Amino acid sequence: MLRTFAYVRPGSVGEALEQLEERGARVHAGGTDLLGCLRDGVFEASKVVSLSRIGELRGITAAPDGELRIGAMATIAALAAHPAVKERFTALSDAASVVASPQLRNQGTLGGNLCQRPRCWYYRGGYDCVRKGGETCYAIGGENQYHAIFGGGACWIVHPSDTAPALMALDARVRLVGPKGARVLPLEKFYLLPDDDATKETVLEPGEIVLGVQVPPPAKGTRSAYRKVRARGSWDFAMAGLAWAIAMDDGRVADARLVLSGVAPAPWRLHAVEKLLIRQRLDAKTVARAAAAAVVGAKPLEQNAYKVPLVRGLVEDALGAASRA
Amino acid sequence: MDDKELYFWRGPLPETQALPPDAAPEPWGETRVVGKPVTRVDAYDRVSGSAIYPSDVILPDMLHAAVLTCPHAHALVKKVDTAGAEKMPGVRAVLKDGMPGTNVPWFQGRGGFSSRLFDPHCRYEGDEVAVVAADTIYQAWDAVRAIDVEYEVLPHAVTVEDAMKPDAPGLRDGGNVPPAAKPYERGNVAEGFKAADVVLEQTYTTPCELHNPMELHGCVAKWDGPRLTVWESTQGVYAVQSGVANALKLPLANVRAIGPYMGGGFGSKLETGKYSVMAALLARKTGRPVRLFYTREQVCRSMGNRPANTISLKVGAKRDGTLVALESRAVGTGGAYAEDGTGGVDYLIRELYTCPNVRCENSSALTNAGPQRAFRAPGHPQGAWALESLMDALAARLGMDPVELRLKNVPAASQTRNGVPYSTTGLADCLREGATAFGWAEARGRRPAPSHIKRGVGVAAGMWQGGAGGPPSTAIVKLFPDGSANLNMGASDIGCGTKTWGAQIVAEELHVGLDRISVEHADTGTTQFATPSGGSKTVPTESPAIRSAALDVKRQLLSMAAEQLKVPAADLDLRGGEIVSKADPAKKLGVGQVQAFGRRGVLVGVGYRGPNPQGKATNPFGAQFAEVEVDTKTGEIRVLRFLSAHDSGRVLNEKMFRNQVNGGVTMGIGFGLTEERVMDRQLGKLLTANLHDYKMPTALDAPADKTVIAIDPHDTFCNTGAKGLGEPATIPTAPAIANAVFHATGLRVTDAPMSPARVLRAMAALKPAPAGRKGEE
Repeated sequence: MLRTFAYVRPGSVGEALEQLEERGARVHAGGTDLLGCLRDGVFEASKVVSLSRIGELRGITAAPDGELRIGAMATIAALAAHPAVKERFTALSDAASVVASPQLRNQGTLGGNLCQRPRCWYYRGGYDCVRKGGETCYAIGGENQYHAIFGGGACWIVHPSDTAPALMALDARVRLVGPKGARVLPLEKFYLLPDDDATKETVLEPGEIVLGVQVPPPAKGTRSAYRKVRARGSWDFAMAGLAWAIAMDDGRVADARLVLSGVAPAPWRLHAVEKLLIRQRLDAKTVARAAAAAVVGAKPLEQNAYKVPLVRGLVEDALGAASRA
Repeated sequence: MDDKELYFWRGPLPETQALPPDAAPEPWGETRVVGKPVTRVDAYDRVSGSAIYPSDVILPDMLHAAVLTCPHAHALVKKVDTAGAEKMPGVRAVLKDGMPGTNVPWFQGRGGFSSRLFDPHCRYEGDEVAVVAADTIYQAWDAVRAIDVEYEVLPHAVTVEDAMKPDAPGLRDGGNVPPAAKPYERGNVAEGFKAADVVLEQTYTTPCELHNPMELHGCVAKWDGPRLTVWESTQGVYAVQSGVANALKLPLANVRAIGPYMGGGFGSKLETGKYSVMAALLARKTGRPVRLFYTREQVCRSMGNRPANTISLKVGAKRDGTLVALESRAVGTGGAYAEDGTGGVDYLIRELYTCPNVRCENSSALTNAGPQRAFRAPGHPQGAWALESLMDALAARLGMDPVELRLKNVPAASQTRNGVPYSTTGLADCLREGATAFGWAEARGRRPAPSHIKRGVGVAAGMWQGGAGGPPSTAIVKLFPDGSANLNMGASDIGCGTKTWGAQIVAEELHVGLDRISVEHADTGTTQFATPSGGSKTVPTESPAIRSAALDVKRQLLSMAAEQLKVPAADLDLRGGEIVSKADPAKKLGVGQVQAFGRRGVLVGVGYRGPNPQGKATNPFGAQFAEVEVDTKTGEIRVLRFLSAHDSGRVLNEKMFRNQVNGGVTMGIGFGLTEERVMDRQLGKLLTANLHDYKMPTALDAPADKTVIAIDPHDTFCNTGAKGLGEPATIPTAPAIANAVFHATGLRVTDAPMSPARVLRAMAALKPAPAGRKGEE
């Protein structure tokens, strides 16, 4: 049951930033994650600052130069259905269409999806874990079938977002604004690993919010997609997923970006695979080498070694699809 | 297990007086209303929101209650300080152990041991410690959080292996392991295996499932002087009445339990909850009505589960497929309080197929986890998972078709009940007609496509140990002079459409439209005694009593009309509100024109459920067929189509029959593919206490292509010939899918649910044979 908090709906970004100066203030975008966290006591809020009245945070625009601009308050459902996104930024529309459930997609926003807290059942449950400032990561010696095989350390959460890996594969940048001013970062630089800070997933400073995302026009010959594997058909997070954007030129890979979901505390970019693919034909031998390279360095816990063949399978599947272009 | 010792009823059942034999009606021939796919009589109320469920009840001055539960797997409550909570705004009452009225002995689960309402020895995360009533639910929860409890945390064991260790923390005096029950034995399994041409052995595991009905567990309680009324989400209002009366030492007559609408139970709402007693105590203390519903998390922790089982099964067969021996060892835990973690697990192994030599041994241990409750066909889906997977493996080993292997071993008599014949068995027809309608032979012979996405088909059969129903049941049918009628019975409608098929039976016998029949039920103040709705027995128990009550009214009416028309009653028939002479159709009378009836105002007919025939066993049977697609790169399984053939005797409503089967199949898909309670061994807490982490199947997990076939062998064990359906529908689903996965991939997944994780693990452990089509295990 929710505890008492103040609720404000500022009309501009400036007002919102002022409201967020209060310690204990929390941002409310779609609320699908915030309300659950408050109800379950994952964290508390003395004040909830809604962004719903701020017009400039809405909207999905395909600019004349081909750049895609998405406001932080654009809903996941709108993103999934947007014609330009479907046509030219397929990985993003694929990812948006498999987020959660229809109800949650109608309510949830892109900003919220990028900033959501992890779904680790120890973090969400009554456990004083590392991410909540405690000493222990209970996943290491506990039930870790859904946890990370890459990038763990002090904490083994997986990042829950589907849209983040898709945007990262599409080379997106994220626009932030906070008490110290505005900044634009490649999405890759937006996320942290436990080695950086095990108590937060993003570089957002106190009082800082996401304004939106911009995605550059894809190079000629680029195709992109996102494939998510989950335990049930809807309303579930990825056991593993793969977003990819591959540009082909004369039957050879001109550019490739592959980013995994569900396997690491942040969207997990497969740099080694990308490097290996450049200027190659996507024949069986290359696909096999790429699949093997994708799992180099994986450190499975007791119950999640299945994610290793799963990642290999996803990479094989994706490159197979890309080769049929 | 005797049929009269099923989980929904303890001890011998009283035999109620049946109709005199000369009045026992003939089985129906052609029916006009019964069996037809009519829409539920309460469909509009349910979908429009006008149906009042117990959790919808709002009374003037009603308080809201919230329960403080133990956050530890195992702890002693040393001190509960409620002083701060009691002073908080809106708080009207707080109850904890030691306060007047709270010393209520509590018996949680069958075969368990006694504790009390707020027992200071908390045996699992979720045991109740205190309860608060306040003006709003938010105030109640704020107060619950303000209660200061000092716990002495004890070591815990949440797995059966941990609980069976000699140094395991004890949940009660005498240890966690109850005295072993005598194994079931017939014939001589050692001799049987010696005589077998083929012997296969495999260990299977099944998930612990949480019921998670849509409506949470709880009630609203209100006192009027010495009389208590409880609106409760329950499968049996009379069980609530007796449970609450017993706990509070009240006369039965002073406890009224009401629950005509309820949002699902699946076995978890058969027993009286602590919430009813707590709400009644709070309402008495405050002099105001109290609403107490558990939260979803509390329901996940405390309101029951289907125990996880590990079943080692060995089968011996002749080369021609004749079974000669079956031997099983099953282990499980009922959690805290409930001793039996293996109930019903071996029933199919003992009963489904003809086999002269059978031995089944079960063992359980208490653990610091939520106690089990009956869950849709207790034990049977677990047993089916093992038996029907191993039958499939046996068919592969023998090079036999899995349908043929099963047909080879269909019994005509109940081997666990002294060999008495089944009143009817449609098992063979379910297999044969199901296979034909499914296109089994063709699908089975299809050549695999050269792709990493493999297709296959599988079959599994099942039966349910209950489903015959029996006494006691009383139904009353009232006929009004305008020909309209009222049906009055105590049974609940737990989702299977009790009101609708009840009204259909009355409409059939009294020849009156469904729109002129009202139904009142599930209210101990105004309706007749009924046992809780469980064991797939509501239809076979209540339907014959309803038919008898309708016929009783009709007999009275026709005899009055006979006197008036001066013809023998046997010459008269009731047709569309008129009484007509069969010999001379000109002689007729409107129902309202029967003078003797008019003077009485209403005719009351009473019907009782008579006993089932001696020397016969009555059970429902079924066979299910699945087609699946398996992505061998990712471990994903998609169920493409599903066919269910069920012998549940006569179908009372074809549409509800289909829907109930498909509901059972969807639940079976959960058991087979997605659902699993996960406990953390480190702190002994439940990790899947919400509907995201506990993964029930969604619409996308059930195939759109679902077919249901009714096999009716015209049973006459009761006057409607209808056997139970709710439980049989979910029993063979998961192994049918697993067998299809084997056919598709050559991979035998022995651990349910078959999540992508388990499929990939199984693939990593075993280099699969090229295909299951001709492969060996």
